[in-house]
Amino acid sequence: MDFIFEGFFEAYKLLVSGNAETYSAILATVKVSSGSIACSLLLGIPLGFCLGYFDFSGKKTLRTIVDTLMALPTVFIGLLVYAFITRRGPLGNFGLLFTLPGIGIGQTILALPIVIGLSATAVESMDQKLRITIMSMGANRRQLFLTSLWECRHGILAGAIAAYGRVMTEVGISMMVGGNIKWHTRTITTAIALETNKGQFGMGVALGLVLLAIAFCVNLSVSFLRRRY
Amino acid sequence: MHLPIYEIRSLEHSYGGQPVLSIKHLTVKQAHIVGLIGPNGSGKSTLLRLLGLIERPTHGEIFFNGLRVEPFSDEARFLITLLPQEPFLMKRSVFSNVSYGLKLRGNGRDIVDKANRALSLVGLDSKDFARRPWYALSGGEAQRVALAARLALNPKVLLLDEPTASVDAASAQLIKEVTLRARRELGTTLIVASHDWQWLYEICDEILHLFKGRIFGRGRETIIFGPWQKLGTGIWGKILSDKQQLPVPPPPNQEAAAVIHVLSVSEDRSTIAGEGIVLSGTVSRLSLERKTSQLFATILVGDLPFKVGLDIQQGKEHTLFPGRTVFIRYRLDQIKWI
Repeated sequence: MDFIFEGFFEAYKLLVSGNAETYSAILATVKVSSGSIACSLLLGIPLGFCLGYFDFSGKKTLRTIVDTLMALPTVFIGLLVYAFITRRGPLGNFGLLFTLPGIGIGQTILALPIVIGLSATAVESMDQKLRITIMSMGANRRQLFLTSLWECRHGILAGAIAAYGRVMTEVGISMMVGGNIKWHTRTITTAIALETNKGQFGMGVALGLVLLAIAFCVNLSVSFLRRRY
Repeated sequence: MHLPIYEIRSLEHSYGGQPVLSIKHLTVKQAHIVGLIGPNGSGKSTLLRLLGLIERPTHGEIFFNGLRVEPFSDEARFLITLLPQEPFLMKRSVFSNVSYGLKLRGNGRDIVDKANRALSLVGLDSKDFARRPWYALSGGEAQRVALAARLALNPKVLLLDEPTASVDAASAQLIKEVTLRARRELGTTLIVASHDWQWLYEICDEILHLFKGRIFGRGRETIIFGPWQKLGTGIWGKILSDKQQLPVPPPPNQEAAAVIHVLSVSEDRSTIAGEGIVLSGTVSRLSLERKTSQLFATILVGDLPFKVGLDIQQGKEHTLFPGRTVFIRYRLDQIKWI
């Protein structure tokens, strides 16, 4: 048990002393996960709205596919992205392998079905009377879309948090596509995996605590926003 | 001569292939009050949604001020507004709900004044209510906020779907007064669906009876719904709660609805004039019909309400008052089936 407590003590020291290696992994994680969640929200919210709002043939099949993709294994995404961006792959010329943008692509693929699926659920559970109310006030199509989106903001926000949590805590994509290169593509999760293998519990625990702290801050901000709006 | 504000041509509407509304031709005059009467499922709400340009009719055309319109038509969307039966407020404050439509119209400068005025029109003090969130209101307050949001827009047409169905008596009275005020002060055309016949007969220029998606009458008809039972040879009817028999001719089917026109009413069975079936009932309500300046009486026969129009002199002669037992007369050969 002692090594666990020592780990916490070591974590405290690393964080307070501003250990460069630790903060490099934190920065890489925050950068890549924020970028990928932003991309997945930009693409996923309009797609999720359309999936939840409109009736079209094949909607149920599409919904089943999206729901299935929500459980995509990260190592499988890592493998696919690796295959596409490796030098021999179709996107090999872009030099994305072992870079943060490469990890970002994989994490966007991971988060996108979650954002689409949960946004669609939020829109589907929207009261039908909302549409009547908005239209009866004289809204045009664009205003109807934007107001409807705003009205199901809480559901969409819940989807965004779920997606952010999944992106921040994944290991498979970061490890396979990023290569866990120190100072460059090492993220919190890959660093924890590596340091634990090396028996360096201190850094592992420190990074784990940072992950928890980030999750706590995100949830705190969201809960503040929900109260405010 | 003014164009009618609405004209409907060959309108048909269906949900999932099931027809719910079919109107060959209908016009609504500017600044008129039109009442829609009919049982649940008769197509009143569907008609209001189509007139409110919320839905596109399956077939047919709707003209507004002479122009063909459909959902999102720029010619009409800022002029027509619909208040649905169940109040629905967006997840925002009372003020934001009331000012939403004004913001869509770009009325930036005096939004606060207009929203506050609309709130006070429906009897809500803006100081107390403007900042309240949507969930901190009672059903009646929510309905009044929803109405204020419509009134703030100074609409040309206000469509009301059972505006007083889910509110208490005081709120209902206030809603009735405010809607009439909009018509009086702004010349707003009102189209109101309600089960409160008495109110509709009091205020409306025209009453439309709907049943199974069709307009079958524009007056004071009483509709009695099936099922019907055989009372004797060739005579069908109903046995009412007070054991009286209500005879009708053989119906086309057990569930058909009979349209009965009451010919006369008297407080004395022996003095009731003319041939026909005579039944006794009790006057349950009396009111003054706006369009004809006639008395409008609801007479409960058993538990069925019959609607009767009388001129004021007749009313005085018969000394009608709620609670009074009277006799009504109708003729079997004048009953229509729908």
